Amino acid sequence: MIRPWRIALLAWLAVLIAGCGSASGHLATASAAPPATLSLTTSTVMSGTTWAVVPMGAASGPNLFWQLFALPQPGQRWSLATPPDIATNGALVLASPGGQALTVGIRPSLYLDFSPVTVTRDHGHSWTTLPPDPGLADFPDALAAAADGQVIAIGSGGQVSQYHQGASGWTGLTSQRSLAASPAGRRCGLTALTGAAYTSAAAPLLAGTCSRPGQAGIFVRTGDAWTAAEVALPASLRGQAVRVLRLTTTGTRDIALLEAGAGSTASMLTASSTDSSHWMLSAASGLAGRQVISASFGARGSVAVVLTGGRAEIMSGTGSPWRTLPTLPPGRTVTLALPAVGTIDALAADGGTLTAWKLAPGTVAWAREQVIKVPIQYGSSS
Amino acid sequence: MPGMNSGLDVNDPTVVAAFRSALSHQGIIALLIVAVLSVAWVSVRRPALVESPGEEPAAGPAWLADPAGRRLLRIGFGLLWLLDGLLQIQPGMAVGLPSQVIEPSAVSSPAWVRHLVNWAGTTWSYHPVQVGAAVVWIQLGIGLWLLAAPTGALSRLAGVVSAAWALIVWVFGESFGGIFAPGLTWLFGAPGAALLYCVAGMAVALPGRSWRTPRLGRAVLGGMGAFLAGMAVLQAWPGRGFWQGTSGTLTGMVQSMAQTSQPRVLADLVSGFGSLVGAHGFAVNLVAVAVLGLTGAVFLTGWRPVVRVALIVFVVACLADWLLIEDLGVFGGLGTDPNSMIPMALLAGAGYLALTRAPEPASAAQEQLSGPASSAASGRAAGPRWGARLRSAALRGSLVNAGFGTMASACAICVIAIGATPMALAQATPNASAILAQAIDGPVNAISGPAGGFTLTDQRGSRVSLASLRGKVVLLTFLDPVCVSECPLIAQEFRQAGQLLGADARRVKLVAININPLYDEVSYTRAFDRQEGLAGVPDWVYLTGSPQRLRQVYREYGVTSQTLPAGAMLGHSDIAFVIDRSGQLAEELDLDPGPGTAATQSSFGTELAVAARQQLAS
Repeated sequence: MIRPWRIALLAWLAVLIAGCGSASGHLATASAAPPATLSLTTSTVMSGTTWAVVPMGAASGPNLFWQLFALPQPGQRWSLATPPDIATNGALVLASPGGQALTVGIRPSLYLDFSPVTVTRDHGHSWTTLPPDPGLADFPDALAAAADGQVIAIGSGGQVSQYHQGASGWTGLTSQRSLAASPAGRRCGLTALTGAAYTSAAAPLLAGTCSRPGQAGIFVRTGDAWTAAEVALPASLRGQAVRVLRLTTTGTRDIALLEAGAGSTASMLTASSTDSSHWMLSAASGLAGRQVISASFGARGSVAVVLTGGRAEIMSGTGSPWRTLPTLPPGRTVTLALPAVGTIDALAADGGTLTAWKLAPGTVAWAREQVIKVPIQYGSSS
Repeated sequence: MPGMNSGLDVNDPTVVAAFRSALSHQGIIALLIVAVLSVAWVSVRRPALVESPGEEPAAGPAWLADPAGRRLLRIGFGLLWLLDGLLQIQPGMAVGLPSQVIEPSAVSSPAWVRHLVNWAGTTWSYHPVQVGAAVVWIQLGIGLWLLAAPTGALSRLAGVVSAAWALIVWVFGESFGGIFAPGLTWLFGAPGAALLYCVAGMAVALPGRSWRTPRLGRAVLGGMGAFLAGMAVLQAWPGRGFWQGTSGTLTGMVQSMAQTSQPRVLADLVSGFGSLVGAHGFAVNLVAVAVLGLTGAVFLTGWRPVVRVALIVFVVACLADWLLIEDLGVFGGLGTDPNSMIPMALLAGAGYLALTRAPEPASAAQEQLSGPASSAASGRAAGPRWGARLRSAALRGSLVNAGFGTMASACAICVIAIGATPMALAQATPNASAILAQAIDGPVNAISGPAGGFTLTDQRGSRVSLASLRGKVVLLTFLDPVCVSECPLIAQEFRQAGQLLGADARRVKLVAININPLYDEVSYTRAFDRQEGLAGVPDWVYLTGSPQRLRQVYREYGVTSQTLPAGAMLGHSDIAFVIDRSGQLAEELDLDPGPGTAATQSSFGTELAVAARQQLAS
């Protein structure tokens, strides 16, 4: 015989279990915040042409299309130069420039799980292809090209591959794990790769994040070994953790954007070198709790940085001090470009419209120069 | 949820037409079976009764033969099942049930519930016509069966079947009634209507003696009382948002219900109640907590005089909730049942009726009304063995002795079988029905003429020509190796077609030609193969060549490609050709993969495999 109170007890337990189920749905799982990475939004100057990568369309998902814009010469007009016949939802990665050709990698997106690589030698009018990379990492210097046609790619799994002109595929160069296990990597306590470049002598350079304070993780390939670049940080930064945010080559100069410290005491500075062994440091600029969103490079080692809060700073060349720019013009994404010494362009993207603003030498306000309506093909990737 | 539904439009005309056609055909078969059984029963029974007129059963309504509480459940839930079956006939049900009913019910449940429900939704979406029609007939059949069999073993069996089907619906269709999801409340149907159907079915399945003492009534009311008291606690629990007015959980739920498509009068009523909750949320929740708590406490006592009063209050509360909060349960999208309040009231009513000791049945009358099955159930007369019954004379004797309830139950069982059999046969095949592919791209087109020749390089670097494939059926398509959406889906359809072909696959060649002349290197076709898991598929080749050579092939087959601006992938034809073993074009298939769900991919795979098999057979 089943007594009613037993059934009542069982039903009550069921309700309690149900209640627990419902309550647990409200609990948020605490998880560690991922380390901040720089946006792939950037610009670079190569043989007089300025290239800028800008996210447009939707803010995310299959209607976000990354666009490539080209400014053939300072004073001319920006034009759309996005590589054709490939969906750019996963982002474009501009290779750190090393020659006349611009190499662009396309990050995986949707069903595409590898990275096509394409090259233009005529300002984006025509394109050829290199063999695909297994999958480029999600940072702006995951791809680097040398003047002789060599290309380095950092994959999302930390593998580093190299392509030699005319080869049918990529060959392994190293990996984050191998580099971390090398004497140079152990000295720095390498925890992540953050960028690649070629020296003017076509030697591979890699950058990363060191766990040991006061160590800037820049490594140069010498023969078959990797050696750590000697970056002598000032005494005030020697106790700070250093992260290499960007690594690139402009002309004959290798340049790295560093972030030292964290939180409200963090600051940024550049390290530059012409021989990859002796690195000069710029003055440090306090970030005052802001974060670096993106960075762009121009001639003579100039760097422009977009920070959170609509703020931007520029360093006009090696040895110059950091200077705060006027409040950035409105736009969902603003990319700075440095087409000529003293001239700063701000490319403000919002949906399918790109507005080019200019800050001419000696002026203190942005002037609207050009509006480009980009014919985004909404729905074409879904 | 991946794979949950077919992704087709709910009212897709191809599927709706097939659904209607299936229902019509199965309906005709059901009517024929009912007619044959009825004629057989009447023709055999009437002469027999004429021969022995003394066996004419005593006059009296058959539906009064079982105890009142059981009768309430049997007839009430029988009618509910009939209504549910009729609601399943809605044209959009075949495609829409996974996407508009099952998926939303699971969306806020834990991952393990979603996985389970996703499996069910995927299973449904593979064969929407067969499963959709099966549900109609199963629910109509159960409803008829419960109504037709008042007593005896067949009646109890109807309860078992009803409980089992309700359990399936509760788990897979209602995601356990949402009891594992946040926001659980009696007001919106917890613990799920189908669970109440299941409890009712189990109660109907109990032996007759269980209903003749007040114990069952006390158990039913005790269980409900504890449940309602628990619901009162959850309703009153601070932080769950039920005490707030304008911004509260209840207001949001009622307001969203008021916006569903329904008759104006009903919308005004629900909207008005929503405003009342918005303005006096605390008071409304206080009433809800009080009703739940007090009726729950009274039900727990099992004391008949107070239970009667509580029952009236509870039934009024159920009806008010059904009208003002559940919106009668059938409006807004694809209504599948009138929700939980009517079943809840029926259960409480049955519990109350079962508190009274029922009189012993009039055995003789019951036997005549229900036939030999009821005799077997009561254990009085074992009757002949089944082997003996199947002999012609014995069968005739069984038919003569069978009551209307037995005959009607047999008809109801046939109705259930008519729906369940095609569904079971469809589910026995792992691949989806080809109707999904036809719904997306229309039927396969027959074409003729010699297939354009080509000599290109495969993903392994070897030269392959169409002429070298002579003797095999070729399934040919054009794919972009750097495509981010459709081409990978089409490649998977080809892969599935190869798997479905089984041993025939070695007589078929699956061929793709690179449609993107910019990414023309073998390294790209090889990377695509790796990405899609095609590298090890023996009969698959992905061909590429110089841009000039590729464009020549495009012209031969009339396929087009177009460079689109601003970071869009290459636009091109999604098409496949079936080339027979002598190198002649045989069929052309539009291969736009549509929503690209697991069901549609499998459906295209089926379509391709069928097309290849037809060529092999010709």
